[in-house]
Amino acid sequence: MTTPNYTVLIIEDEKNISDFMSKALKSNGYRVITALSGKAGLSLISSQCPDIVLLDLGLPDIEGNDIITSVRKWTSCPIIVVSARTGEKDKVAALDLGADDYITKPFGTPEMLARIRASLRHSNRMDSNSALYIRPYQCRGLLLDFDKRMLTVNGEEVHLTQIEYKIVAFLARNSGKVMTYSAIMSNVWGPFTGDNNRILRVNMANIRRKIEQNPSQPQFLFTEVGVGYRMREDENELC
Amino acid sequence: MKNFLRNISYTLIMLAFATGLAFIFFHFVKDNTANIALVYILALILIARWTTGYLYGIFSSLFCVIFINGFFTYPFFEINFTMNGYPITFVCMLIITITTSAMTTKLTRQDEMIAERERKLNDAEKERIRANLLRAISHDLRTPLTSIIGSSASYIENHDELNSDEKLQLITSIHDDSNWLLNMVENLLSVTRIQEDSHKVSKEPEIVEEVVSEAIDRLEKRMPDALIKVSAPDEILMIPMDFLLIEQVLINLLENALVHSQTTQPVELIITNDDAYVTFHVIDHGKGIDTSALPDIFSGKYDSSLASDTKRGMGIGLSICRTIIQAHGGTITAHNHENGAEFAFSLPIV
Repeated sequence: MTTPNYTVLIIEDEKNISDFMSKALKSNGYRVITALSGKAGLSLISSQCPDIVLLDLGLPDIEGNDIITSVRKWTSCPIIVVSARTGEKDKVAALDLGADDYITKPFGTPEMLARIRASLRHSNRMDSNSALYIRPYQCRGLLLDFDKRMLTVNGEEVHLTQIEYKIVAFLARNSGKVMTYSAIMSNVWGPFTGDNNRILRVNMANIRRKIEQNPSQPQFLFTEVGVGYRMREDENELC
Repeated sequence: MKNFLRNISYTLIMLAFATGLAFIFFHFVKDNTANIALVYILALILIARWTTGYLYGIFSSLFCVIFINGFFTYPFFEINFTMNGYPITFVCMLIITITTSAMTTKLTRQDEMIAERERKLNDAEKERIRANLLRAISHDLRTPLTSIIGSSASYIENHDELNSDEKLQLITSIHDDSNWLLNMVENLLSVTRIQEDSHKVSKEPEIVEEVVSEAIDRLEKRMPDALIKVSAPDEILMIPMDFLLIEQVLINLLENALVHSQTTQPVELIITNDDAYVTFHVIDHGKGIDTSALPDIFSGKYDSSLASDTKRGMGIGLSICRTIIQAHGGTITAHNHENGAEFAFSLPIV
């Protein structure tokens, strides 16, 4: 695989996990630096300017969320949070503080690589102009043309309501990345919609009925328990 | 202090009541000393029965004797201790109260002892269940750990002599066993989400298909070859549940069906609903469940006796399923159909 030489910083206090992650990343063409504590991690971020940070939330010296806050004060370098399974609240908090995505322990290499790819892509897009936004989203027979505001599945047009289109378009623009309930809601309904995500979830169920073959085994729109939704990666960008 | 107040107020009320009754008798019926004495005795018995200790009884009997003597026997409204038979009345009343008080005290103590013994028995039972669970878990955890340690050790020691096929085999078995361990640990963790004392869970309305898709997604990460067919009603079903727990139940049941049915036919997950319940049916087309194991299948005892030859951990997984479903106010059942087994659980809609 021809990955441009991206630098990944892994902040993780468990040596075994850090080793396994860096091995997997190195063999996929990334340059890896590791930090075993939050302090070391913070100084490496400012001295080495990594392209992406993988941050374990349970560090011994500094709270993971404090690291995110302090990093976000001066750089938009993507941060992927690595967390234990049951901490939905921690994940949401980290994402709302500015983390780009998360992976749940234990995870496999493909999952980790996919998350890194998606986050890098979205951070690059912000640097360049918005030209890429105009390109349609395409994945497994689903085509979303942002210009024409048209969604087709296997060539057949699907009629979405205004709200439904906004939700799908937002997720498609951020395909491959998890989007929290609050991020989707403030994007679709505006910033003062409150905490009740029920209306979003019902809309989502309706969207699934329109574009998924079997809503219980979705191909495009995935649920992230207690956190939000994730749309399958755009095929154009997988390479 | 509270006890003291309760006792004293009870005593005073009873005495006032008896005195009132006695005055009524005294005014309306002539020569009725016997009945008045009886009213007082009744009051004494009641006081002795419902107060703690002897003090209130003795005080009351003294009060009664003086009252009877002072108001209701000739000469009226005059205390005269020289009257005939007076000591006998006093002694009798004292004996009645003391006996009743003694009986009451004994009764209370016995009640306490019985309660204490029951609590001890309960604790012992809980302790026994916990010990059994711990034993079963340790056994179940030790088996895959042994295999992981063994495989990795033989890889480390012999990696020069092993060919790549053998290496792959060792690593694959390590991988499988660790995945199995992970599921086990997640099962155990999920139980901690159920509140220990009340057996209640925190429920939020969730969309059924989201739980189902998430469960299948997680299961397929571990078992990429899993074949699962889902059919659900077209309407949007929202039921109150703890998402992670129900997901765990679905994963356990689906994994059971995939692993134990010993067939290549896909496992079916069928969701049905009526007015009050949503039911999840997990149906396989395999060899079915051993009928002798059916009655006990959710009790966790299932494979403790067969542990050596059946796939480990099924018992704990199913007993955890039952705990979770019961905590949701639902029901879970297992039975065989024509060619295979079916597990079904229902969750209340409201």
